[in-house]
Amino acid sequence: MKILVVEDDAIMLKTIELRLKKDGYDVITSEDGRDGLKKFEELAPDLIITDIMMPFLSGLEIVGAVKKWEGKETPIIVLSTLGQENVVLEAFRLGADDFITKPFSPKELSMRVKRYSLNSESI
Amino acid sequence: MPHFSFLIVNFYLFIVLIYVLLILLFLTFIIILGFVIYRKKVASNKALWHQNIAPVILQAIFLEEDGGDRVEVTYKFKMLFQDPRFRRYAINELIKAKDNFSGSSASSLQTLYESLDLDGDSFRELHNPKWHIKAKGIQELGIMKQAKYRKEIFWLANNKHELVRNEAQCAMVSFFGFSGLSFLNVIEYPMSQWHQVQLLHKLNDVKPETFEALKTWMQSSNESVIVFAIKLATLYNCYGVYTNVVNCLKHPGVQVKISALEYLKQMPQEDTPDRIISNYYSENINYKLAVINALKDIGTEKQISFLVKELHNKNNDVKAAAANSLSVLHPLGHTFFKTYLLAEEKPWKEIFLQITHNRIA
Repeated sequence: MKILVVEDDAIMLKTIELRLKKDGYDVITSEDGRDGLKKFEELAPDLIITDIMMPFLSGLEIVGAVKKWEGKETPIIVLSTLGQENVVLEAFRLGADDFITKPFSPKELSMRVKRYSLNSESI
Repeated sequence: MPHFSFLIVNFYLFIVLIYVLLILLFLTFIIILGFVIYRKKVASNKALWHQNIAPVILQAIFLEEDGGDRVEVTYKFKMLFQDPRFRRYAINELIKAKDNFSGSSASSLQTLYESLDLDGDSFRELHNPKWHIKAKGIQELGIMKQAKYRKEIFWLANNKHELVRNEAQCAMVSFFGFSGLSFLNVIEYPMSQWHQVQLLHKLNDVKPETFEALKTWMQSSNESVIVFAIKLATLYNCYGVYTNVVNCLKHPGVQVKISALEYLKQMPQEDTPDRIISNYYSENINYKLAVINALKDIGTEKQISFLVKELHNKNNDVKAAAANSLSVLHPLGHTFFKTYLLAEEKPWKEIFLQITHNRIA
């Protein structure tokens, strides 16, 4: 499964990349929203994990753009911070499929992503 | 000839001006060049520091999973670590990472912070005369759970700068949970509403063993401490301080009284409606409205006559609030208004119409 991770914090991005690669996924990374959306259009990942607050294009704008895309349905997990409940609700309204609140453990992320990999295998 | 010497003087002045302009341009160029070189140096340093700290932090995050028992650092890292700017950068990155990760990753990051003696760097900030640096140092020690510095941080909970106080108070709660609130015994400055919300949020998942301290805090000379203590009693559904909270209804501060009402709404007893009405007529409009609204939730048929009387209060907000509470308490509900003598008169007509509409909706 190909996963696109969009996150502007370098260490967070690397941590998620390493965690998912250890689980055997093919990982594409991006450090800002605009580049992330470009990679989504070019590489058609099977799952997107995106932060909300990012330069150039926010996670919410990415969710909105991806869900309007006339192509394959791509599930999106948003990474939020404690206290951003309204933002998470807005992300769901735009079509996000799941969210993880920081702080989280890499193992938790692993379990969440596994659900989507099982779904994509059954399809 | 005077005309000619005038021209010569002007010409020399012109030359001098050109020189001055050229020198200024040259200086501006030097300053801009220096700034660009400095910015490039800073960026290059940051890139170098990041290259060295990131693998160490990642090692810590995956330490338990990878079966390691401690983080290894390179010789180059140790050399760089002599530079206090790199140490400052390392602290900032560690704090960011600790905020983002939980579980064993968070514990490993805390251990790394301690093993690199970065707690010493954060602690030294506490003695910096600049308040914002002091506050940052406290925040770092709080996030990294460095309870060994509790004595110094405790006294900063009463610092003259609000942000320093807030960080120190949050740090004490991070270290010790409910018992970290012991600073409430000594603080003289008020706690803002926002800061109280922050502390309550931190204490949400904490279950204290005893609530005796709440009774002491409810007698504080610091009004914000009383308000906060009542909010804590409300948060923890603490019945044991009911009498103390009822006594707070006599406090001169409106915020104290309104906080007490919130508690009593949540944990009413049989005598609560009578208690909250007892000093109603001597209070200000905000308190009166809060009492009438509270009766909607905890009132009984015994308060109906009081509310009917308040339908005639000269303040229309009180009339409306009384009508609202009556629509809940009266046995006839909102249809009570149809039988009310003055139901067709202003402003009751509009008030009753609105309530009836809300009830049907």
